[in-house]
Amino acid sequence: MFIINCPFCGERDQSEFSAGGEAHIVRPKQPTELTDDEWADFLFMRKNIKGIQFERWNHSHGCRKWFNVIRDTSNDKIHAVYKMGEKPPSN
Amino acid sequence: MLNINYPKIENKEYPNLKLNLVEPIHKLNLRGKNRDFFTKAGRILSIMLPTEPNTSATIKSISALWLSPDEWIVYGKDIDKNLILSLESEISKSNLGSVTDVSDQWVLINMKGKNVFEVLSKGSPFDFNKFKDTKNVVVQTLLNHVDVILHHNDANNVDLFVRKSFSEHLWLWINDSSSFL
Repeated sequence: MFIINCPFCGERDQSEFSAGGEAHIVRPKQPTELTDDEWADFLFMRKNIKGIQFERWNHSHGCRKWFNVIRDTSNDKIHAVYKMGEKPPSN
Repeated sequence: MLNINYPKIENKEYPNLKLNLVEPIHKLNLRGKNRDFFTKAGRILSIMLPTEPNTSATIKSISALWLSPDEWIVYGKDIDKNLILSLESEISKSNLGSVTDVSDQWVLINMKGKNVFEVLSKGSPFDFNKFKDTKNVVVQTLLNHVDVILHHNDANNVDLFVRKSFSEHLWLWINDSSSFL
Protein backbone atom coordinates (compact mmCIF):
# COMPACT_ATOMS: atom_id res chain seq x y z
CA MET A 1 0.00 0.00 0.00
CA PHE A 2 1.21 3.49 -0.74
CA ILE A 3 0.02 7.08 -0.89
CA ILE A 4 -0.60 8.83 -4.22
CA ASN A 5 -0.70 12.60 -4.46
CA CYS A 6 -3.67 13.20 -6.77
CA PRO A 7 -2.96 16.44 -8.69
CA PHE A 8 -6.57 17.50 -8.07
CA CYS A 9 -7.48 16.23 -4.57
CA GLY A 10 -4.18 15.83 -2.74
CA GLU A 11 -2.69 12.85 -0.94
CA ARG A 12 -4.88 9.75 -0.81
CA ASP A 13 -4.50 6.07 -0.16
CA GLN A 14 -3.75 3.82 -3.12
CA SER A 15 -7.04 1.93 -2.59
CA GLU A 16 -8.90 4.97 -3.95
CA PHE A 17 -7.10 4.70 -7.30
CA SER A 18 -7.10 2.41 -10.32
CA ALA A 19 -3.99 1.72 -12.34
CA GLY A 20 -4.32 2.43 -16.06
CA GLY A 21 -1.13 0.89 -17.42
CA GLU A 22 1.84 2.41 -19.14
CA ALA A 23 1.65 6.08 -20.11
CA HIS A 24 2.61 7.96 -23.27
CA ILE A 25 1.83 5.19 -25.75
CA VAL A 26 1.00 6.97 -28.99
CA ARG A 27 -1.75 5.55 -31.17
CA PRO A 28 -0.51 5.02 -34.74
CA LYS A 29 -1.82 7.66 -37.14
CA GLN A 30 -2.68 5.14 -39.85
CA PRO A 31 -3.65 1.85 -38.12
CA THR A 32 -4.78 0.31 -41.42
CA GLU A 33 -1.26 0.55 -42.80
CA LEU A 34 0.25 -1.48 -39.95
CA THR A 35 1.07 -5.15 -40.12
CA ASP A 36 -0.64 -7.49 -37.67
CA ASP A 37 2.56 -7.71 -35.66
CA GLU A 38 2.90 -3.92 -35.43
CA TRP A 39 -0.76 -3.56 -34.40
CA ALA A 40 -0.42 -6.30 -31.77
CA ASP A 41 2.73 -4.57 -30.54
CA PHE A 42 0.80 -1.31 -30.08
CA LEU A 43 -2.16 -3.01 -28.39
CA PHE A 44 -0.53 -5.52 -26.09
CA MET A 45 3.20 -5.13 -25.66
CA ARG A 46 4.26 -3.09 -22.62
CA LYS A 47 7.69 -2.43 -21.12
CA ASN A 48 6.78 -3.70 -17.63
CA ILE A 49 10.05 -2.46 -16.20
CA LYS A 50 11.41 -3.31 -12.79
CA GLY A 51 12.37 0.24 -11.90
CA ILE A 52 11.12 3.67 -12.88
CA GLN A 53 8.03 3.50 -15.06
CA PHE A 54 5.65 6.11 -16.49
CA GLU A 55 2.07 5.12 -15.70
CA ARG A 56 -1.50 6.34 -15.99
CA TRP A 57 -3.67 6.30 -12.89
CA ASN A 58 -7.31 7.17 -12.29
CA HIS A 59 -8.68 8.53 -9.02
CA SER A 60 -11.67 6.24 -9.42
CA HIS A 61 -13.09 6.64 -5.90
CA GLY A 62 -12.40 10.38 -5.75
CA CYS A 63 -12.47 13.01 -8.47
CA ARG A 64 -12.45 10.35 -11.25
CA LYS A 65 -9.73 12.22 -13.17
CA TRP A 66 -6.88 10.56 -15.05
CA PHE A 67 -3.29 11.65 -14.49
CA ASN A 68 0.29 10.41 -14.94
CA VAL A 69 2.60 9.00 -12.31
CA ILE A 70 6.32 8.23 -12.40
CA ARG A 71 6.68 5.24 -10.10
CA ASP A 72 9.52 2.92 -9.19
CA THR A 73 7.89 -0.48 -9.55
CA SER A 74 10.52 -2.16 -7.41
CA ASN A 75 9.66 -0.23 -4.24
CA ASP A 76 6.47 1.72 -5.11
CA LYS A 77 8.23 5.04 -4.55
CA ILE A 78 6.47 7.78 -6.50
CA HIS A 79 8.88 10.25 -8.09
CA ALA A 80 6.40 12.61 -9.73
CA VAL A 81 2.73 13.14 -10.51
CA TYR A 82 1.53 15.30 -13.40
CA LYS A 83 -1.71 15.99 -15.21
CA MET A 84 -2.76 14.57 -18.55
CA GLY A 85 -1.40 16.67 -21.41
CA GLU A 86 1.50 17.96 -19.34
CA LYS A 87 5.08 16.99 -20.09
CA PRO A 88 6.84 14.75 -17.56
CA PRO A 89 9.09 16.63 -15.14
CA SER A 90 12.67 16.56 -16.41
CA ASN A 91 14.27 15.49 -13.11
CA MET B 1 -38.34 12.20 -6.76
CA LEU B 2 -39.05 8.49 -6.49
CA ASN B 3 -41.55 7.56 -3.86
CA ILE B 4 -40.29 4.18 -2.77
CA ASN B 5 -39.72 2.73 0.67
CA TYR B 6 -36.03 2.15 0.17
CA PRO B 7 -33.70 2.37 1.97
CA LYS B 8 -35.26 1.24 5.25
CA ILE B 9 -33.41 3.60 7.55
CA GLU B 10 -34.62 4.69 10.95
CA ASN B 11 -32.90 7.42 12.90
CA LYS B 12 -30.59 6.06 15.59
CA GLU B 13 -28.69 7.36 18.57
CA TYR B 14 -25.45 6.04 20.06
CA PRO B 15 -23.08 7.50 22.67
CA ASN B 16 -22.08 10.93 21.28
CA LEU B 17 -23.45 10.04 17.85
CA LYS B 18 -26.78 10.73 16.16
CA LEU B 19 -27.61 9.21 12.79
CA ASN B 20 -30.42 10.72 10.74
CA LEU B 21 -31.76 10.08 7.28
CA VAL B 22 -32.14 13.46 5.55
CA GLU B 23 -34.63 12.57 2.85
CA PRO B 24 -36.30 13.67 0.65
CA ILE B 25 -33.91 16.40 -0.38
CA HIS B 26 -33.00 17.66 -3.84
CA LYS B 27 -29.46 17.00 -5.10
CA LEU B 28 -28.09 18.29 -8.38
CA ASN B 29 -24.94 17.43 -10.22
CA LEU B 30 -23.47 20.39 -12.11
CA ARG B 31 -20.71 20.13 -14.68
CA GLY B 32 -19.09 22.94 -16.60
CA LYS B 33 -15.87 24.79 -17.21
CA ASN B 34 -16.30 28.19 -18.79
CA ARG B 35 -16.88 31.56 -17.19
CA ASP B 36 -20.48 31.83 -18.43
CA PHE B 37 -21.31 28.57 -16.68
CA PHE B 38 -19.97 29.88 -13.36
CA THR B 39 -21.82 33.18 -13.77
CA LYS B 40 -25.15 31.57 -14.62
CA ALA B 41 -24.92 28.92 -11.90
CA GLY B 42 -23.87 31.53 -9.35
CA ARG B 43 -26.70 33.88 -10.26
CA ILE B 44 -29.43 31.22 -10.19
CA LEU B 45 -28.26 29.50 -7.00
CA SER B 46 -27.08 32.72 -5.30
CA ILE B 47 -23.90 30.87 -4.48
CA MET B 48 -20.44 30.80 -6.06
CA LEU B 49 -19.38 27.28 -6.93
CA PRO B 50 -16.18 26.57 -4.97
CA THR B 51 -13.09 26.21 -7.16
CA GLU B 52 -10.68 25.25 -4.39
CA PRO B 53 -10.32 21.44 -4.15
CA ASN B 54 -12.15 19.62 -1.34
CA THR B 55 -14.15 22.64 -0.20
CA SER B 56 -17.79 23.66 -0.11
CA ALA B 57 -19.85 26.82 -0.09
CA THR B 58 -23.10 27.21 1.83
CA ILE B 59 -25.61 30.02 1.73
CA LYS B 60 -28.89 29.66 3.65
CA SER B 61 -29.75 26.00 3.21
CA ILE B 62 -28.08 25.40 -0.17
CA SER B 63 -24.63 23.85 -0.24
CA ALA B 64 -22.34 23.39 -3.24
CA LEU B 65 -19.65 20.74 -2.87
CA TRP B 66 -16.50 20.55 -5.00
CA LEU B 67 -16.18 17.10 -6.58
CA SER B 68 -13.58 17.71 -9.28
CA PRO B 69 -12.31 20.74 -11.23
CA ASP B 70 -15.44 20.75 -13.39
CA GLU B 71 -18.02 19.00 -11.23
CA TRP B 72 -20.10 19.94 -8.20
CA ILE B 73 -23.00 18.53 -6.24
CA VAL B 74 -25.55 21.04 -4.99
CA TYR B 75 -28.09 20.11 -2.35
CA GLY B 76 -30.39 21.71 0.14
CA LYS B 77 -33.94 22.17 1.31
CA ASP B 78 -34.31 25.44 -0.61
CA ILE B 79 -33.89 23.73 -3.97
CA ASP B 80 -37.26 23.42 -5.66
CA LYS B 81 -38.57 22.50 -9.09
CA ASN B 82 -38.47 26.09 -10.35
CA LEU B 83 -34.79 26.40 -9.47
CA ILE B 84 -34.01 23.12 -11.22
CA LEU B 85 -35.98 24.20 -14.29
CA SER B 86 -34.15 27.52 -14.52
CA LEU B 87 -30.78 25.77 -14.13
CA GLU B 88 -31.70 23.31 -16.86
CA SER B 89 -32.98 25.96 -19.24
CA GLU B 90 -30.08 28.38 -18.76
CA ILE B 91 -27.20 25.90 -18.47
CA SER B 92 -28.11 22.56 -20.04
CA LYS B 93 -30.20 23.84 -22.94
CA SER B 94 -27.71 26.55 -23.84
CA ASN B 95 -24.85 24.02 -23.75
CA LEU B 96 -22.89 25.88 -21.07
CA GLY B 97 -22.63 22.73 -19.01
CA SER B 98 -24.79 19.95 -17.65
CA VAL B 99 -27.36 19.84 -14.87
CA THR B 100 -28.49 16.43 -13.66
CA ASP B 101 -31.03 15.76 -10.95
CA VAL B 102 -29.35 13.07 -8.82
CA SER B 103 -31.84 13.21 -5.95
CA ASP B 104 -32.70 9.55 -6.40
CA GLN B 105 -29.14 8.42 -7.04
CA TRP B 106 -27.74 9.55 -3.70
CA VAL B 107 -29.07 9.08 -0.17
CA LEU B 108 -28.13 11.67 2.41
CA ILE B 109 -27.37 10.59 5.96
CA ASN B 110 -26.44 13.09 8.65
CA MET B 111 -23.98 12.05 11.34
CA LYS B 112 -23.63 14.30 14.35
CA GLY B 113 -21.64 14.04 17.57
CA LYS B 114 -18.16 13.72 19.01
CA ASN B 115 -17.80 10.14 17.79
CA VAL B 116 -18.47 10.84 14.10
CA PHE B 117 -14.85 10.51 13.06
CA GLU B 118 -14.28 7.53 15.34
CA VAL B 119 -16.84 5.62 13.27
CA LEU B 120 -15.69 6.94 9.88
CA SER B 121 -12.05 6.12 10.64
CA LYS B 122 -12.95 2.49 11.24
CA GLY B 123 -13.77 1.85 7.60
CA SER B 124 -12.08 4.51 5.50
CA PRO B 125 -8.55 4.81 4.09
CA PHE B 126 -8.82 8.61 4.34
CA ASP B 127 -6.82 10.47 7.00
CA PHE B 128 -9.39 12.51 8.94
CA ASN B 129 -6.88 14.35 11.16
CA LYS B 130 -7.01 17.67 9.30
CA PHE B 131 -10.52 17.13 7.97
CA LYS B 132 -12.14 16.90 11.40
CA ASP B 133 -10.66 20.25 12.48
CA THR B 134 -11.85 22.11 9.37
CA LYS B 135 -15.37 23.21 8.52
CA ASN B 136 -16.86 23.32 5.02
CA VAL B 137 -14.58 20.65 3.62
CA VAL B 138 -15.52 17.79 1.35
CA VAL B 139 -13.97 14.45 0.58
CA GLN B 140 -14.89 11.67 -1.81
CA THR B 141 -13.54 8.44 -0.46
CA LEU B 142 -14.42 4.89 0.52
CA LEU B 143 -16.27 3.78 3.61
CA ASN B 144 -16.42 0.05 4.13
CA HIS B 145 -15.44 -0.26 0.41
CA VAL B 146 -18.45 1.87 -0.63
CA ASP B 147 -18.06 5.20 -2.47
CA VAL B 148 -19.16 8.09 -0.30
CA ILE B 149 -19.07 11.89 -0.34
CA LEU B 150 -18.50 13.44 3.08
CA HIS B 151 -19.32 17.06 3.81
CA HIS B 152 -18.06 18.39 7.13
CA ASN B 153 -20.45 21.33 7.41
CA ASP B 154 -20.15 22.10 11.10
CA ALA B 155 -18.12 20.91 14.09
CA ASN B 156 -18.65 17.14 14.39
CA ASN B 157 -21.51 17.34 11.90
CA VAL B 158 -21.08 15.39 8.67
CA ASP B 159 -23.43 14.92 5.75
CA LEU B 160 -22.73 11.57 4.14
CA PHE B 161 -23.85 10.84 0.57
CA VAL B 162 -24.04 7.22 -0.50
CA ARG B 163 -25.48 5.71 -3.66
CA LYS B 164 -29.01 4.46 -3.04
CA SER B 165 -28.30 0.83 -3.90
CA PHE B 166 -25.47 0.72 -1.34
CA SER B 167 -27.22 2.80 1.30
CA GLU B 168 -28.90 0.08 3.33
CA HIS B 169 -25.74 -2.01 3.42
CA LEU B 170 -23.65 0.98 4.54
CA TRP B 171 -26.30 1.98 7.05
CA LEU B 172 -26.13 -1.47 8.66
CA TRP B 173 -22.32 -1.23 8.74
CA ILE B 174 -22.41 2.24 10.33
CA ASN B 175 -24.84 0.98 12.97
CA ASP B 176 -22.74 -2.08 13.64
CA SER B 177 -19.59 0.03 14.02
CA SER B 178 -21.37 2.56 16.19
CA SER B 179 -22.59 -0.13 18.55
CA PHE B 180 -18.95 -0.69 19.62
CA LEU B 181 -18.38 2.93 20.66
